[in-house]
Amino acid sequence: MGHPMTPDSIQRERRAARLALLRMVLVVLAIGALVPWLANAYWIKTLTSSLALAVAAAGVALLYGQLGLVSLCQYSLLGVGGWVALRVGHGLHWPFEACVLAGGLSAGVVGMLAGLPALRLKGLYLALVTLMLAGGFQVVISATGFPDGGDGFLGRISGSERLMLPRPAIAQGEGAYFAYVAAWLAAILALLEVHRRTRAGRSWALIRRGEAVAEGAGVNVLLYQTWAFGLAGVCAGVAGALLAGAVGQLDGRAFAASESVMLFALSLIGGAYHWVGALVAGLLLRAVPSLLVDLGVNGYLAMVFFGAALLHALITAPRGLVGQWLAALQRLRAKGRP
Amino acid sequence: MKITLLGIVAATALLATGAAMAQGKPVCGLNNGKAASGEPIALGAVVGKTGPDDFSASALASQAYFKCVNANGGINGRPVELTIVDDQWNPEVAAQAAAKLVKDRKVLAMVGSSSFVECGVNAKMYAQENVMVIAGVGVPRECFFAKNYVPVNAGPRVSATVVAMHAAQQYKAKKMVCIIPNIPSLGNWACDGAKDWGKANGVDVSVIAIDPGSPDATSTILQAAATKPDAIILNVPKGIMVPMLAAAEQQGLAKKIHFVSSTPAYNFDVPKTIGAAWNGNFDIHLEFMPVESAGADNMNWKATMEAFGAKSDPRDSFAQAGYLAARIVTEALLKMDPKKIDRASVSTALRNVSGFKSDILCRPFYVGDGARHNANSSGPIAQVSGNGFKQVSSGCLMAADPELSDLREQEKKLGL
Amino acid sequence: MPDLLPFLISGLGVGAVYALSGVGLVVLYRSSGVLNFAFGALGAVAAYVAWSALEHEWPLPLAALAAVATSVAISLAYGRLLAPRLAERETTVRSIGTLGLALVVLGFTEWFWGEQPRRLVLPTDAGAIEFADVRLTYTRVLGLAAALLMMAAVGLLLARTRIGLAMRALADQRGLSAILGIRVLQVDTAAWVISGAFAGVCGLLLANIVRLQATVLTFLVIPAFAAAIIGRLSSLPVTVAAGLAIGMLEAVAVLVPGFSPFRTATPFLIALLAIVLWRDASRKA
Repeated sequence: MGHPMTPDSIQRERRAARLALLRMVLVVLAIGALVPWLANAYWIKTLTSSLALAVAAAGVALLYGQLGLVSLCQYSLLGVGGWVALRVGHGLHWPFEACVLAGGLSAGVVGMLAGLPALRLKGLYLALVTLMLAGGFQVVISATGFPDGGDGFLGRISGSERLMLPRPAIAQGEGAYFAYVAAWLAAILALLEVHRRTRAGRSWALIRRGEAVAEGAGVNVLLYQTWAFGLAGVCAGVAGALLAGAVGQLDGRAFAASESVMLFALSLIGGAYHWVGALVAGLLLRAVPSLLVDLGVNGYLAMVFFGAALLHALITAPRGLVGQWLAALQRLRAKGRP
Repeated sequence: MKITLLGIVAATALLATGAAMAQGKPVCGLNNGKAASGEPIALGAVVGKTGPDDFSASALASQAYFKCVNANGGINGRPVELTIVDDQWNPEVAAQAAAKLVKDRKVLAMVGSSSFVECGVNAKMYAQENVMVIAGVGVPRECFFAKNYVPVNAGPRVSATVVAMHAAQQYKAKKMVCIIPNIPSLGNWACDGAKDWGKANGVDVSVIAIDPGSPDATSTILQAAATKPDAIILNVPKGIMVPMLAAAEQQGLAKKIHFVSSTPAYNFDVPKTIGAAWNGNFDIHLEFMPVESAGADNMNWKATMEAFGAKSDPRDSFAQAGYLAARIVTEALLKMDPKKIDRASVSTALRNVSGFKSDILCRPFYVGDGARHNANSSGPIAQVSGNGFKQVSSGCLMAADPELSDLREQEKKLGL
Repeated sequence: MPDLLPFLISGLGVGAVYALSGVGLVVLYRSSGVLNFAFGALGAVAAYVAWSALEHEWPLPLAALAAVATSVAISLAYGRLLAPRLAERETTVRSIGTLGLALVVLGFTEWFWGEQPRRLVLPTDAGAIEFADVRLTYTRVLGLAAALLMMAAVGLLLARTRIGLAMRALADQRGLSAILGIRVLQVDTAAWVISGAFAGVCGLLLANIVRLQATVLTFLVIPAFAAAIIGRLSSLPVTVAAGLAIGMLEAVAVLVPGFSPFRTATPFLIALLAIVLWRDASRKA
């Protein structure tokens, strides 16, 4: 942190960055390959949901970690992505990848549109506006539900069995689908990391310092802020589509505004400044409650535990759990060095 | 002569005490008092416990019955192990729960399930894995339109239809309003039984679909009352029903319009909670005979809960459903060869269930191999009276819902 | 055109609910810079305590006192023990902390009291004012009066008293105010006690007017945020007016064919409209 920058050191840093990116992708893919061998059906399903939600958490972390923006409607964007993926999958019979992309892109567009009026809002106001959006989405989706194979715009079936979204041919089984989701997670994380290390990331860092600063440096604030909202939306949309593929359908009652708030809170706890934080957030959202239910803990007592854990993490770990672990790791390494 | 008289008196006394004791002791399974110790038979149940309401009473009653069976010879020597999983009213968790039971635990059947969300999510998987579900309680449409899902209860559509028929019969109501939460598979289905029956019988039933999260019950009641109906049918969960009745009472409508409800209102805390204004003024359809009825099987259910259930297990209509589900499965399993009990043979045996009789049910229960199941389609009517309920229908009313025509066909074929 | 008036009047009942909660939220925000996600949960636990007390034949004043004391105690405990640890972080993080509190309180309430139909009946339910085919129970009139009264009282407190001034200073610049000699602990205590008392009273009225159910009461805080947003988190009169307006519009929405099943979205739609229309005025929070 105090050494001078030479052409050599810049080269070394670039190589280190590329290696870190490669390492990240390999770790996630390795998780995707190994876990199906170790886990039973219950846990494979749970961890698939965890990985899908990690994609959404990565988007939340992008907005908060890079730009300091709080979005409390990301789970609703997950719902939007899931809705589009299901509609397109059932109605047009597109291949699964196309459904995921369609879901991701539409949620990205909606995210950008939501981001535009919010452009001049900061801090708490942005949070509250996104909360209002989440509240409105909750009301609409509980009434309309998600497409399940029927006709009409809403795509709801009545009179016969509900259809499941067909999974891709290479990922029909539970274990295979888990690896498939891991691959998508790796791709999204890589996309975000590339953004961070290039011009976009630098522009975001400047915007974070202050709009005046950024504009003084020649950054197009409108473009980059909207782009960030769009990217976060894409993450949420992809997560929604993957979740739809995991369960086969989505239920309108599971998209309350409180889910968006929990997604934000747990992304914060996981750590918004490092990609592992998104993984931890996904685990906290799905795996930890499942563990508690598995152990027979009363659902409401689990809620109490969760709230206490949230408070504890907020108070003692400002950079999230992953921040804490990395700091501990660094201290260990420093001890090891002479 | 004296000896004979004494003998008769003594014999009667002995019989009386014997009968009293027999009432206290539950009868289940082989009923031979021997603890079962063979290879366990794995069964499962998915219940919605953590969430807007607690449906777990059904599976708990099934568990109590199976404990009784295990203490009385088991299934031809083999004990039953029922694993209950909470789906937290979350469809994702419901999928995980079913995966855990069906794929990890490899259950042979599901018994006593009662979940609002699992039918839509898991029905296809159950059909693919050939697992039969003899559920205690099903609510949304998917629970009554699945190949492998067999709810023991009647469901909100049948319930609303029956109570509408009662209102027409008892109060000569010609115009009714049916209120239903606007959730997919409920909002566009559960009041339509009453509506379609009404159309065929000269009664005008209009439907109001409400937002279940709405904090404003008064406006809904005002909206319903504005059409000047003779009766209002509440087809909503009891958590929403209580504020609606409170709003109706505050608006002075308790004496002006007849309020009736489908079965969720049949709960022992309801009369005290809704207050004296509804005494003798609120009719409810029951899916089973009343909880205090004196039929032998109903008393047996109570005895089973007393002997093998926990003190905190509710003794309500959900528990009746769970008990019946467990009894149906037990009797089907007992007829099988104990060495050849696997998932496929259990499913076949369950599909062959027909003519299952219990005084808790109005009509014999059956499963059949049709594409859907809704065997319980009748019930008595109870009325809020004092701090409890009293039965006001003589016997049971059978739902004349046009949608049930395919099942009536099946019943005719099975000779029921 | 069906008669709008009964629905407008009935909407006043719900509107008072939103107005009261909105004022409670803005009060704490203006006096400690925290947006309290746990406001509804504190109200819920207070309502359940009151219900239990009434079940045990306690007289109403004592039950109400116990209820408000509960919410004040929990609010104070959080404000004195946990909130100071987050005092250096930004506003949003401090508000997310109250979310943790909400989860703890909600989870405990649901676990302890369990799920069973309940109703909080207050003696003011017995009488009502009759108005255009609608009856407004005295409880709702009380709620309306309370909203207006609280608005005036708190407005006076913040604007005219020393402690009000201290509260506003602390909310704005905590470190600087402490250096200037403002007694941080005392002021904090006052802010959280007032907020807790508010939550308790709101909870009692809400439990009567809406439903005595912990999860519902906890998440009614989200539409209350809508009223607070329209008041731009600072103006109490606007918050109250917004709350009443939202309540009335949500009630009238029942008559709009097609929109009626979605009418719970009314608070959110209005808040979003307000934000978009008055964007310049709400640049910074």
